[in-house]
Amino acid sequence: MAKLTLPPVELVRSGHSACPGCGPALAMRYLLKGTGERTVVSVPASCWTIIATGYPTTALRIPMIDTPIEATGASISGLRAALDALHMSDVQVVGFAGDGGTVDIGLQSLSGMLERRTDALYVMYDNEAYMNTGIQRSGSTPLGAWTTTTPVEGMARGKGEPKKDIMGIVLAHHPVYAATLNVAYPEDFLRKAQKAASLKGPRFFHVLAPCPPGWKFASDQTVQIGRLATDTGIFPLYEVENGKLRVTRKLGQLKPVRDYIKVQGRFGHLTDAEIDTVEHEVQASWAALLQREAHP
Amino acid sequence: MIEIRFHGRGGQGAVIAAELLAQAANLDGKTPQSFAFYGAERRGAPVVSYARIDDRPILLRTAITAPDIVVVLDPGLVEVAPVMDGLKPGGTLLVNSPLPPERFPTPKPAFVATLDATQIALSHGIGSRTMPIVNTTMLGALSRVSSVVSLSAVQHAIDEHVPARPAENGLAAIEGFHTVRVAELPGLPGGKAPAGPVAPALSSEVPEAPIASMASDVLHTSSWRTLQPVITREKCTRCNFCWKFCPDNAIDLDAEGFPVVRNEHCKGCGLCAVECPPVAIEMVVEGGA
Repeated sequence: MAKLTLPPVELVRSGHSACPGCGPALAMRYLLKGTGERTVVSVPASCWTIIATGYPTTALRIPMIDTPIEATGASISGLRAALDALHMSDVQVVGFAGDGGTVDIGLQSLSGMLERRTDALYVMYDNEAYMNTGIQRSGSTPLGAWTTTTPVEGMARGKGEPKKDIMGIVLAHHPVYAATLNVAYPEDFLRKAQKAASLKGPRFFHVLAPCPPGWKFASDQTVQIGRLATDTGIFPLYEVENGKLRVTRKLGQLKPVRDYIKVQGRFGHLTDAEIDTVEHEVQASWAALLQREAHP
Repeated sequence: MIEIRFHGRGGQGAVIAAELLAQAANLDGKTPQSFAFYGAERRGAPVVSYARIDDRPILLRTAITAPDIVVVLDPGLVEVAPVMDGLKPGGTLLVNSPLPPERFPTPKPAFVATLDATQIALSHGIGSRTMPIVNTTMLGALSRVSSVVSLSAVQHAIDEHVPARPAENGLAAIEGFHTVRVAELPGLPGGKAPAGPVAPALSSEVPEAPIASMASDVLHTSSWRTLQPVITREKCTRCNFCWKFCPDNAIDLDAEGFPVVRNEHCKGCGLCAVECPPVAIEMVVEGGA
């Protein structure tokens, strides 16, 4: 029998109401395996409020508070202060927000929490659009992706703007630890969650969490597509600890981005020339990332 | 005025079904209306949509609580959603199910019709195995069991408004028209709907503040699925990949490290089967059809 590569403790219950094959469901499961049961999580309006809380049920074995969508950062600053006042400094405080609730609506409170040096972990689970309300584009939706508000008809070619660089924004605040994670690589995910839990100060995770209905792929492909996101260089896995960047999944030759794009309905309209443009941009940003690792 | 209520699951096309029906009725010269119940969008979760059809403009804008016709796109919903609520005596219940109509007794006397729309949709390549889209097949059947819309109008509406595979959807509608079976049922004694599972009641220990404290495990999300995993123990290498990648924590490991699917919670996403290195897991159609 193979050894378990993840702790057996399950802090996410069955019976939650995530879609079949949900990437964000895996993200919470892996995260809590890393931070452990002495964790409090603050969740703003996002898929996870629906997933966890079909009232009167809860899908988490740990306390969760439901917070306004713009207030995740502020709520975890408050939780930290309250727990410290109660001499419960060992409790991990986690904010768990979607991409829209982070890069758009919650950006100011994330910035405030980082600037206040709050001892908490902010996790942005990125399914690259407002999925809970029916696939509207967010600042984190990638260039060219179809959503219900960036349609593909006539002259419209999906989203016309590139994805917002949230890691760049966060790193400008100099957190003690920031990392990119992917539900398709649970061992890397776990190691980063455990590491973050061992540190004090503001910490940030950018988690890629593929969404079968929103990205338009079959529910059994979540992990396959997640792997391709990293292995094509579109979503590289790295961590930045006290300013020092380290790529945690080394790639020799990048896989063609075509392999990632062609399997998702939201990119079904992209032409070969458009895919080539993405390919060039990905190669350039991958090269820049390796440069930053080699020459900090 | 005829009022029709559709029950489906997110992704099956219940909203589009109501819209297509309205478009078809419009082609028949009627004045229709269609809209959906707005809630959280989740693939697989119960969804309700509505259509009204009349010869005159409809001013009513409310949800339909006493439908003339109820269309159920997913057989599992009969057990978990109040699909028969308010169905008028002498109304029509149309269910996507391979079972005969007699298996769906209504509270009041009604016409009950069934067809295996999932099989028909799959045979025409509409949707995927994990999420067959049955709306056009069901509309074909509806045009047979009620006079609310004609088959030719349904076909026209499909041609004009279905973006993907209009030809296949048209054929599925025709097959739905031809295979649907109808029975006139007398209604149940006392006029009560069969008791399905009800939402769990609050225990007296739950505080009155809005704190959810009941474990979600009481909710059996298996009714969402169309496929279920079957593990061949002889092929299993106990690598635990299926356990690792299950988004629903629906796979346990037994004392020897073999995976055991917790059937009441598995939503049938198929991730375990795709991620299983020795291909020891197969997704089979629910109910062993």
